[in-house]
Amino acid sequence: MPEIEKGEIDHALEKWAEHIASSHAREETLGLVGLVSHGDVLAQRLTRILREKGFRKIQCGAIDVTLYRDDIDLRQARLALRSSDLPFSTDGMPLILVDDVVQSGRTARAALDAIFEYGRPERVELHCLVEREGRQLPIHPDYAAFRLTGEGAGDTVRVLLTEEDGKDIIEY
Amino acid sequence: MTKTCITRAIWAPDGQECDVCIDPAVDAPSTLFAGDIPVPGVAQVTPAGEMKIPAQSRVIDAAGKLLLPALYDLHTCIEIPGRSKRECIMRAGEAAVRGGVWGMLVLPSPAFCFDNGAALDSFREAAEARSVAEMMPAGCISLGMRGNEQAPYNTLSTMRGVRILSDGESFPTNLLMLYRAMQYAADLELIFAVRADVPALTTHTYAHPSSTAYKLGLHPCPPCAEEIGTETLLRLAEATGARLHLQLVSTAESVRIIRRAKESGRVKVTAEVALHHLLYTHENIGNYDTVYKTVPPLRDKGDCEALLEGVKDGTIDCIVSAHTPCTPFSKKQDFISAPAGMVGLDTMLPTLYTKLVKPGLLSWTELVQACCLRPAAIASPWEDEEGGRATAPLLLFDPEEEFVVDEASLACGTLNTPLLGEKLYGKVTLPLH
Amino acid sequence: MKPRKDLITIESLSDEDIRTILESAVSMKEIFTKSVKKVPVLRGKSVLTLFYEPSTRTRSSFEVAAHRLSADVTTFTPSTSSVVKGESVHDTIDTLMSMKMDYIIVRHKNSGIPAVIARHCNASVINAGDGAHAHPSQAFLDAFTIREHFGAVEGRRVVIIGDILHSRVARSTSCILRRLGAQVAFMGPRSLVPQMRYTGIECLADWDAVFTWKPDVIYLLRVQNERIENPFFPAADYHHAFGVTEQRLRRIEDEGMAVMHPGPVNRGVELCDAAMEYKNCLVCNQVENGIAARMSILYHLTPGTLS
Repeated sequence: MPEIEKGEIDHALEKWAEHIASSHAREETLGLVGLVSHGDVLAQRLTRILREKGFRKIQCGAIDVTLYRDDIDLRQARLALRSSDLPFSTDGMPLILVDDVVQSGRTARAALDAIFEYGRPERVELHCLVEREGRQLPIHPDYAAFRLTGEGAGDTVRVLLTEEDGKDIIEY
Repeated sequence: MTKTCITRAIWAPDGQECDVCIDPAVDAPSTLFAGDIPVPGVAQVTPAGEMKIPAQSRVIDAAGKLLLPALYDLHTCIEIPGRSKRECIMRAGEAAVRGGVWGMLVLPSPAFCFDNGAALDSFREAAEARSVAEMMPAGCISLGMRGNEQAPYNTLSTMRGVRILSDGESFPTNLLMLYRAMQYAADLELIFAVRADVPALTTHTYAHPSSTAYKLGLHPCPPCAEEIGTETLLRLAEATGARLHLQLVSTAESVRIIRRAKESGRVKVTAEVALHHLLYTHENIGNYDTVYKTVPPLRDKGDCEALLEGVKDGTIDCIVSAHTPCTPFSKKQDFISAPAGMVGLDTMLPTLYTKLVKPGLLSWTELVQACCLRPAAIASPWEDEEGGRATAPLLLFDPEEEFVVDEASLACGTLNTPLLGEKLYGKVTLPLH
Repeated sequence: MKPRKDLITIESLSDEDIRTILESAVSMKEIFTKSVKKVPVLRGKSVLTLFYEPSTRTRSSFEVAAHRLSADVTTFTPSTSSVVKGESVHDTIDTLMSMKMDYIIVRHKNSGIPAVIARHCNASVINAGDGAHAHPSQAFLDAFTIREHFGAVEGRRVVIIGDILHSRVARSTSCILRRLGAQVAFMGPRSLVPQMRYTGIECLADWDAVFTWKPDVIYLLRVQNERIENPFFPAADYHHAFGVTEQRLRRIEDEGMAVMHPGPVNRGVELCDAAMEYKNCLVCNQVENGIAARMSILYHLTPGTLS
């Protein structure tokens, strides 16, 4: 099983942060909202890097979109809920939704529903660590650190992050 | 009538192999015993192989089977809610014979309200025509079993042969009525069959005070209600001289009270225990299993043991089935709404054997005394109108045969027995001729 | 957690079930702080409240919970007359089945009724209190409230005071707290506290014993005069003997114990007026947490599965 190692991930995060820095002004208030689990970890890491780059007004939050998913009737057991933590008002603020993997686009759809129930952001971008083929909705990431394309690529992707799983690795 | 000879049967009480000749025409003194109690009505007994088989007699080779008197059940309610009386009688009779019971006392119930001569006559007629087992109706203590006005005891007893009075499920709350009834009926030699209770203490109670009652949130039924009731009834019986039969004794303390009363010799008292009170405890109720809903409720293990001890030493005269059909629908309700009671006739002897005799808790002699001889002596069903002679039918029991209790093995018309799906030992042959 | 159709008792839940439902209740409570206090998770699902015993509080709490999960709520009021006439629960179940409900929330005076309903229909059945048997949603909100106040339930000492015998709250709440590692004791009129050999829970004799036991939480049960046909204790004695009087409140305040009550409070019976103003009186938190706990329960049950 091919892997993407910690070094590569760290490098990708640096590039990712640079991309955000290039498209947002440093004095702008900017919200990074990670989708639990893993998206929130990525959002925290990006926030840290961006703060070092001088983004002082950057805010970081986390939301659990389980209650907005469209597949509740397809599952027998309900998924456990995780805590959401969005300690700032999103009204009029540009937001970046951060997820680990974007494939079908359904989680991102749920996240959009969820985020609008907290307030009315100025605009919303979708960023992810890994983008896979197999979109089922007209929702595409504005930025993806890795793209897994081609025959069979990324049929199963596992993103492990130190804060959640004890190590940084992407298996696919 | 033909003679019946049973060869090589094992006489259950003493385990001896013997040949027995039953001759309905001969009025012979009994030569068979269960412990020290003679078994009435057997013509001739010899050790196995020594019987001279009389001509024209039917011969049954009973090798390997146990021979014992058929059972007599002093507590049955035969009413099946929603069914015709004819069907109730037919089914109860069939069920009884399957369980080794040849005769039973039928307690009054709403459909069989034996508070007048006509009700008794029509019941006797129907039972004669449709029941394979003997059915003796118990007359009501009060009119309509309502507990306030006495039934016509003279009519019931001298004209219709009633020997036992009972108000079925209901306890006569009016002690004055009961006191006067006992005074009046004492001369008629009537037996008052009553379940001891203090209704004020037991209304809206559903389980023995126990971890089960706590866990299920069922209001507890204090044992002292039965014990106070027992004392009360004993005092009434003593004061009036009436004969008392205590129904469905369920607590250890009740057994002690009855033992003391019997020792004092001042009260004419007999007592019964339901088979389910010997076998099950409140723990069987589990998660609201309505099959185990009974009145009085199933109690503790200690009570079961004391009751069995009472049976063995004769304090408790007999074991009864307390047969009570309940429809499947009614038992599917919640525990509080569901009716109380189990059916027990179909499985009576196999259950007694499997659960008590086989594990060594009860001897065959004790069983024969508690289920055949003493109950029959209380009801004395053979003293017929013509002063007929004593005949206790015999049955054969094959303890090796086993069966699983299922719908087909129950003739009683309902399925409210905890034995459903359980394996029992013993096959009953009754009647023999 | 494994798929589960009904919630009838705490006893029937695994430790994992209890923790998952409690954990999710925290997330549910977060919804209350959003500008839109609603999530679409049960959109299109129908919830029926079937209360044979009147209870505005529990019923509203469930209804608010269902609304916040976007479910449709129907209130079914069994007519008093049909209950008096002895209409069997089975006939009611047949009616409910034809309504194609997804969740049925039942309260009944008979212990064991919700279990019967659950056995005979596909809908998820939630026991909202049956006789003296169980009240699992109350148990969850109590555990949630204690957890919120103290950070954890484990290791806390909770004394439940009052009519234990008739209390489904005492049964379910003591069960969940013990499963979560708390210590529980009972105290109340002798006629209303079942013996320890039946409950497995220590009985304290009086308030002195309660204070000596050093509880973290004093949990008072409501005096249910309406449910007791023949009084089990002289009503005039209650406040003096078993309630939180002003004198006892001072000691409770000194030691910083929390005070809880399932509501509605009979002021001057279980609690004196001043107790309601006490900073560690968690009665209002209980009400708010009740909605979150019930949302979590509704969310975690799956209609149509076999329990």
